Amino acid sequence: MLLENSGFFSSEPVQTALIVGTCAALVSAVIGVFTILRGNAFAGHALADVSSAGGAASFLLGINPLLGFLGMAWIAAFGMEFLGVRKVRERDLATGIVLGAGLGLSALFLYLDVTTTSTTGAAVSVMFGSMFAIPQSLIGPALVASAGVFLLVGLLYRPMMLTAVDPDLAAARGISLRWIGLLQLLALGLAVAVCALAIGAVLATALLIGPAGAAIRLSRRPAQAIFWAMAIGLTAVWGSIWMAYESYYWFSGNAWPVSFFVVTLVFLFYLTAVLVAKVMGLSARQKPVIWPHCEA
Amino acid sequence: MIPFNHQKAWIRSIPNHCLRSRVTVLMPLIALFAGLGMTQVVVAATIHAVGVENEYANVIGQIGGKYVTVSAIESNPDTDPHTFEASPAVAREMVGAQIVVRNGIGYDSWAKKILAADPNPKRKVIVVQDLLHLPESTKNPHLWYKPETMPAVAEAVAQRLTELDPARAAYFAANVRKFDVSLKPWYQVIARFKARFGGTPVAVTEPVADYLLQAAGCDIKTPWNLQAAIMNGTDPAPQDVGIQNQLIKHHQIKIFVYNQQVTDSLTASFLSKAKAENIPVVGVYETMPTGYSYQSWMLAETNALRNAVERGMSTTVLK
Repeated sequence: MLLENSGFFSSEPVQTALIVGTCAALVSAVIGVFTILRGNAFAGHALADVSSAGGAASFLLGINPLLGFLGMAWIAAFGMEFLGVRKVRERDLATGIVLGAGLGLSALFLYLDVTTTSTTGAAVSVMFGSMFAIPQSLIGPALVASAGVFLLVGLLYRPMMLTAVDPDLAAARGISLRWIGLLQLLALGLAVAVCALAIGAVLATALLIGPAGAAIRLSRRPAQAIFWAMAIGLTAVWGSIWMAYESYYWFSGNAWPVSFFVVTLVFLFYLTAVLVAKVMGLSARQKPVIWPHCEA
Repeated sequence: MIPFNHQKAWIRSIPNHCLRSRVTVLMPLIALFAGLGMTQVVVAATIHAVGVENEYANVIGQIGGKYVTVSAIESNPDTDPHTFEASPAVAREMVGAQIVVRNGIGYDSWAKKILAADPNPKRKVIVVQDLLHLPESTKNPHLWYKPETMPAVAEAVAQRLTELDPARAAYFAANVRKFDVSLKPWYQVIARFKARFGGTPVAVTEPVADYLLQAAGCDIKTPWNLQAAIMNGTDPAPQDVGIQNQLIKHHQIKIFVYNQQVTDSLTASFLSKAKAENIPVVGVYETMPTGYSYQSWMLAETNALRNAVERGMSTTVLK
């Protein structure tokens, strides 16, 4: 078989990429669906971008980059929550302002990285990811962070889902919107950190929003959407790792980066989902109206 | 009055440390001397030169001796020079110099831009790449590791210094001869290494010392694309990483050479694997470390290579 001949599965960087990539695809599928249902896609994107400051700082401090991404994602998440995220217009404003400030920090930390330490390629790996260069020592932390996401969502699935699709109904049922919102942000921060580690802070949105966005177009129920988002995310990530590996042979040793293939595949899946939804007469706009009644 | 840009040129010939404090006092004096035809007084002051990379600055200093003040821009051996970012102070330093030596091959393209932004026909710029007639497509920019580079640089520096201060021509020429002689011990160590250990298989993280390794007859086993990926901080191909890991695991190399200044998690993993397999490790520098001259630095690194292959000794840090 092609894969066996080329040593795909026995390659250490490929194994690490497969594990971390799988984590990223799975957590982003779950969190992505919630994020989109809450209308927080832009906030999710901003969080991922801002987490780059943490990734950049981790080189300076000599700490685990996953912790760096996570710390900054959480700070930004609570910053946005604190600045007020009730009305959509205000939320976009608060998100935009936190995004700008966070990227400013990234610029500073990346500058300090290259001017005071011997780290090379910090900018590329923080912003766009270097999946084949992820150290094996990060597999454990990535698994723990992903388990954290599944634990949070597993325990709070129903209240989270209800809050996401109909906050008023959730409040009427005695769910604390503040607490659910906060826990949701914790989970989002974890997912962002794992995605940023895999494909870079700037591209993390593609995994976080893309597969979930495509899946929601094709599904009638949230659980179904999560399932499809996982399937699409995993296909995109695994396919990309394989294509990046094979591209070594296409371009005489100059392999293309995994992140490029991930983003491209996710985009193609989304386009396909839009087309399929059109052909099958599924309208995305009706979903938020139908869904709460399915679940509640 | 003398034309303004002439004034500027004379100000440049004052040692840099005097510039800020004394320039206002000196300006009328310079104009006066110039007007009286006493230019010698000013020209006799030291020539201000910049070596963009500190190893070039070191050679300028050895050739110019007491008649030149040299500054180096890239001189921190703890950072990666490939990612250097120039500040306005650096730009001032560069455009104020009478002689600038820079490496070329994209290694210091920021310096090229700064110099182009402030054209001055009087400034003498030596591009080492041009000196060696190397095309822009040259893959490995670390030219100072080539044994034949510095004699050419020394010669070119002496020529420019002589143009600026013809009265010292003999002094500069004598320094070039002294410099060439002082390189001999290094050349001998390279020649002996090549004779005894030619063909020694080695692995590297990135190409910094490749020219020296080639001159010493080593066989660099690491795929070029992996070296380039680490040097440029791009995604390494898993296949290339696999080849490197195999080289270490199966003891197909005798020395593992790594760049102290270009490190990431991948180079760290190669390093720990090499140490675990008891393969001698030699850490090399991209920027001349403190306490060394160019000659003693190159000699120390070549000796470290010899110690590695002869006695299985690792040299991770130059002290």
